[in-house]
Amino acid sequence: MSDTPSHAPVNSILPKWIRGPQDFIGGLALVAIAVFALWASSDLQGMRGFSFGAGTAPRMFAFLLLGLGVAVMLVGIVTEGAHLAKYHWRGPLFVSLAILSFAFLIRPMGLIVTAFSSFLISALGTPETKWTETIIVAVCLTAFCSLLFPYALGLPLQMLPKFMIR
Amino acid sequence: MGDIFSNLGLGFGVVFQLVQWTPAFLGGVSIPIPVNILLCLIGALVGTLVGVLPGIGTIATVAMLLPITFGLPPVGALIMLAGIYYGAQYGGSTTSILVNIPGEAGSVVTALDGFQMAKQGRAGPALAIAAIGSFFAGCVATVLIALLGAPLTKIALAFGPAEYFSLMVLGLIFAVVLAKGSVLKAIAMIVFGLLLSMVGSDIETGASRMAFNIPELADGLGFATVAMGLFGFAEIIRNLDAGGETDRQLVQQKVTGLMPTKKDLIASAPAIGRGTVLGSMLGILPGGGATIASFAAYTMEKKLSKTPSRFGRGAIEGVAAPESANNAAAQTSFIPLLTLGIPPNAVMALMVGAMTIHGIVPGPQVMQKQPDLVWGMIASMWVGNLMLLIINLPMVGIWVRLLRVPYRLMFPSIVVFCSIGIYSVNNAPTDVMLAGAFGLVGYWLIKHDFEPAPLLLGMVLGPLMEENLRRALLISRGDWSVFLTRPLSALLMAIAAALLVLAVLPSLRKKRDEVFVESEN
Repeated sequence: MSDTPSHAPVNSILPKWIRGPQDFIGGLALVAIAVFALWASSDLQGMRGFSFGAGTAPRMFAFLLLGLGVAVMLVGIVTEGAHLAKYHWRGPLFVSLAILSFAFLIRPMGLIVTAFSSFLISALGTPETKWTETIIVAVCLTAFCSLLFPYALGLPLQMLPKFMIR
Repeated sequence: MGDIFSNLGLGFGVVFQLVQWTPAFLGGVSIPIPVNILLCLIGALVGTLVGVLPGIGTIATVAMLLPITFGLPPVGALIMLAGIYYGAQYGGSTTSILVNIPGEAGSVVTALDGFQMAKQGRAGPALAIAAIGSFFAGCVATVLIALLGAPLTKIALAFGPAEYFSLMVLGLIFAVVLAKGSVLKAIAMIVFGLLLSMVGSDIETGASRMAFNIPELADGLGFATVAMGLFGFAEIIRNLDAGGETDRQLVQQKVTGLMPTKKDLIASAPAIGRGTVLGSMLGILPGGGATIASFAAYTMEKKLSKTPSRFGRGAIEGVAAPESANNAAAQTSFIPLLTLGIPPNAVMALMVGAMTIHGIVPGPQVMQKQPDLVWGMIASMWVGNLMLLIINLPMVGIWVRLLRVPYRLMFPSIVVFCSIGIYSVNNAPTDVMLAGAFGLVGYWLIKHDFEPAPLLLGMVLGPLMEENLRRALLISRGDWSVFLTRPLSALLMAIAAALLVLAVLPSLRKKRDEVFVESEN
C-alpha cells in the first residue's frame, strides 16, 4: 500500500486545517455509508421486549460504523497524515467496462463471444497493449476457457450466442 | 492417544480412497483412481501456478479458484482448496525469491534475504530451503492439529451463545492487533464487513433487510462475489496504476544447483525449528495467520543471530525461518476453524464460504457428524505439503518462465477468468456486476489505506455474531451483563479488552510497527 504520495498536491480543495486528507475523506465516506445503512434499515422492526427485531443488529452495526468513521475523520484532522492518492481513470474504467460487458453479454451471446470481447475491452486498460499479441492471447484464452469450464469442470455454461442455437 | 491414531487413520483412508473408473473405451475394465490425492495434487499445482503470478496474493488466488471446486463433492472440494492454499503460499515465496515482488504481505520478509540469495546465484538453495522448511513445518502442524482437534472440540461443545459471541469478539480484536496499519481503521473495516453481512433476509423473522427489493440481494451479498471483487478486481486495477512493467528485476541467471550445501542445512535447521514453533503458536490464535508469523520469525532470527548484519544480504536463515513459520501458521489456523467454526483470518473466511456453498456449517458439530471430512482434510494437509516438495523443486524452471509473462497479457486473462468464475456460482449476471462494484470499492479502500482483509472477516462472522448475540440475550432475558457474569465469557472479553488497550498504548504500538517496518528498510 505504498501508492500514496507523501508530497502535498499543488491545489488541494481541502482546507489547510485538515492535516491528513486521506484519513479525513476515508472517515467521511464511512460516515456516509453508515448514514445510508441507517436510512435503508429504518423500515425494519426494532427491539420487541428483550428480543431483537430484524432491524436491531443492522442499526447497531451502522451506529458503530458511524462512530468509527467520525473517529477516523478526527484522526485525519488532528494528526499529520498522507495526502490523497492520485487516481487513474484508465485502468478502473476499462476493467469495469469489461466486467459490465461480460455481465450484459453472457446471457444473450454465450461464453465464446463474451470472453473474447471482455478480454479485448480490459486490454484497453493499459497503454502498453500490443494488439496483434493481445488478439492471439485472447483467442487462446477463449479456447482454453470454453474447454475448461464446461468440459473439465462440468459447469453448465452456454457456449454460442442464443440466436445461433435457438 | 489411540484416538488420534484412529482419527488420522480415518483421514488417510479418505485421502487414499480409490474410486473405480470404468471408461467405455476400455470395454468394462475398471481402473482404481486415487481421486482425492489427484485433487490435492491438482490444487497444489494450480495454486502455485496462480500464486506465482506477481501481484496476486494468497487470498486473491483462493478467491479466484474457488469456483473451480464447486462441481466437486464436499470432501474433494475442501481437499483441493487446501491444496490451492498451500500452493498459492509456496508460489508467493517463489515470486519473492526470484523477482523480489512478494505476492502478499506474508512473503515480504522472504524477499529480503531470498532475493539477495538469488542475486548471488543461490536461488536454487533458497527455493529448496523454503520448500524443506515448509514441509517440516507442515508435518509438525499436521500432528498438532490432530492432537488439539478433539479436545478443543469438546471445549467448544460446552460453549453457550454468550461464550461464542465473546470468542468472536476476541478473534476480531486479535485480527486487528496483529494486522498491519492503523488499529482504528482496521476496526472500522470489520464493522463495515459486519454491516455488509446484514444485507439479505433476517434469519429469524425472514424480513428483507437493506435489499431494496433487488431479488439477487434477497439472500445477501454472495461471499465469493465480494471476495473476488475486493481481492481479484481491486488488485488488478491497483497494479495497472502502478504500471505493470516497472520494477520487474527478474533474476536472469539460470537457476542451477538446487540442493543446499551441508553448511546451508546446518545453518537453517535451528531456524526452521524456531520458525515452526513460533508459526504454530501464532497460527492458532484467532486473528493470527501467516503474515504475522513470518514477520515475527524473521525478527526473532535476526535478534538471536550472532551476526545480525548478514540479514538482508542473503542469509539463509532469513529465508528458512519465515517460510517455515508462515507454513506452520497457515496450517494451524485451520484449528479454530475446524473446532470452533470461527475463521481466524481472511483465507479461512474463504474456506467457510466454500463450506457453506457445500452446505456444511463449520463448527464442533462437523467434527462429530462428518469426521471423514475433517480428518480427510487434515491428512490431506500432510499429503499436500509432500506434493509441494516433490512437484515444485523440479518445476522451478517452469515457474520462472511464468514470471516472464507480461502483465499486459495477464490482467485481461484474470478479468475474464474471474468473471466466468463469479458467473458460474449462481449463473447470475448481477453477481458479476456486484463483484465489479466491489472491485472499485476495494480500489478506493486501498487508496485510503484501509485493509480489505478485516472487512472479509467481519462479513463472514457477521451472521454468526448476530445469531449468538440474539440467543444469548434471549436466554438472559435481555440482560447485557451476561457476557461478563458467565466466567468463561468474562475471561474472553477481558483478554479482548486488555489486548485492545495494549495495542493502542504507544510503547507497544512502536514495537508492533517495528516488526512490520523491518521489511521497508
